[in-house]
Amino acid sequence: MRFDRIWEIAKKDIASVRRYKYVLYGLVVMPLIFAFVVPVVSLVPILGSENLSGELPPFAPPGYSPKQAMILWMVSMFSLFFMFIPAFVPSVIASYTFVGEKINKQLEPLLATPTTDSELLLGKALGAFLPAVGVTFASFFGMVVLVDALTFPIFGYPLLPNLISLVVLFVYCPLIAILSVSVSVFISSKVNDVRAATQLSGVTVFPVLGFYFLFIGGFLRLDWVELALFAALLVFADLGLYYLSKMTFRREEILTKWK
Amino acid sequence: MIRLEGLTRKFNGLTAVDNLNFEVKEGEIFGLLGPNGAGKTTTVRMLCCLIKPTNGRAFIGDYEIGRDAMKIREIVGLLPESPGLYGELSAYRNLDFYAKLYGVPKKRREENIERFLKMMGLWERRNDPVGTFSKGMQQKIAIVRSMLHEPKVLFLDEPTAALAPDSAKIVRDFILELKHEKRTIFICTHNLYEAERVCDRVAIINTKLITLGSPAQLQREFGSGKTEIQLKNLGPKVIKAVKKVKGVLKVDVAGDKLFVQSRDPESVNPKVVEEIVKNGGKVIYVTRGMLGLEEVYLKLVGKDEI
Repeated sequence: MRFDRIWEIAKKDIASVRRYKYVLYGLVVMPLIFAFVVPVVSLVPILGSENLSGELPPFAPPGYSPKQAMILWMVSMFSLFFMFIPAFVPSVIASYTFVGEKINKQLEPLLATPTTDSELLLGKALGAFLPAVGVTFASFFGMVVLVDALTFPIFGYPLLPNLISLVVLFVYCPLIAILSVSVSVFISSKVNDVRAATQLSGVTVFPVLGFYFLFIGGFLRLDWVELALFAALLVFADLGLYYLSKMTFRREEILTKWK
Repeated sequence: MIRLEGLTRKFNGLTAVDNLNFEVKEGEIFGLLGPNGAGKTTTVRMLCCLIKPTNGRAFIGDYEIGRDAMKIREIVGLLPESPGLYGELSAYRNLDFYAKLYGVPKKRREENIERFLKMMGLWERRNDPVGTFSKGMQQKIAIVRSMLHEPKVLFLDEPTAALAPDSAKIVRDFILELKHEKRTIFICTHNLYEAERVCDRVAIINTKLITLGSPAQLQREFGSGKTEIQLKNLGPKVIKAVKKVKGVLKVDVAGDKLFVQSRDPESVNPKVVEEIVKNGGKVIYVTRGMLGLEEVYLKLVGKDEI
């Protein structure tokens, strides 16, 4: 396997995605919402309130005031939002680069080159993975700065990055991005329309949504065991789906069987 | 250089290519002719190792398709039916990308891109996005793309299909120049004029091989005995007299030319000339009128379909 070929394919795909408005939306608007809009809209009212009463959020840590417990819970929630970016963005990019290239008949000359199936697949996967992870990291950094700036006066120390946010950023996000790309490759072999591929590839959001709602509903503590279990689940799903997408991504089938 | 041994491909029970057997010599320009659905593109795809044959074998040089797929992809270039370029990228970036995938070293990559783009008259447009190019210009870029790694064998699927006559001529001249470099060129085409002028030999297929030979050979073999007679001031009296000659099947007129068709030109033509002279006609030339490749093609493909 030659990494230079993989990197060339990835670079070309990254250069190509700039023309797709829908992809740009995923790369710009969505991270801006998660990094700035959501924290500001959620935290500012709480920060401005003098007395916060009512029920404490699930698994509120002892020793904190209701206001602090609520902020801590919300900050954990913000971190989880960042799992949606790698679930959504790679699927959009991969749908455009696979289905789009299939529709535009750009795959045949590519398949005629002496690149292996694995090089092609990994190159295309990397082309979808890097922008998604890159934009996730960048927007997460923005969110950390903003949240810490807003909450420092209340806590006296920076809340982020914490364990949950680091696991989300460095473990979950890459694994979810791989999952998203693998699902997109598989879906792309079955459909002939970029939007249909994007929408169907959206199934990657479901495990993220499930995890998120379990947290909101108070079913998850997000301790080491739960974090590791979810990571293991993602690794298992990644391996299975990568194998499935590699089975689908055979040059003969792309030319003769892909719809 | 290219050898097909019973090459067959079926799709869900439907035979797209049926038992093709022929060879293409090194340095030869070989044309594959046939109607739509005859299996031309499928044949090229098998030879470029994009799809596998159902039966039979084929070799590019010493490499067998399927078994040595990666080696074959390194030594062949392919111009597919559609250019398949990346419209948002510049012509140079498109070519550079492919040259890198073929592993062409930097210096040679730059030299080849410049040389071929200049040959195609597109060097000045190298930094423009390919999406802004006309179909013909895109086709030229795709031809350059297939040549960047200087392949020993070049497969061109309808190379001039989208081109205006002047661009088509540039491409034909380009192909002929490649022949001087001893490259083997395999062309799929509907353009019989082009095949006649460019190809050393042609194969006509309609799923299976119908015939194979040089354009001249095929014209001789499948000709129907037409004779072309150039006269000075051809008049209706002469035409009427020629039509009455025993054995003449058909007479066509174009300007001062007569095209006389008979089953036995050897015995009929002397009588025709005699009648022309007798009726005051002045004969300038008498030549054997050969059928164009187009007529051979239509005759053979039509016959096969019946």
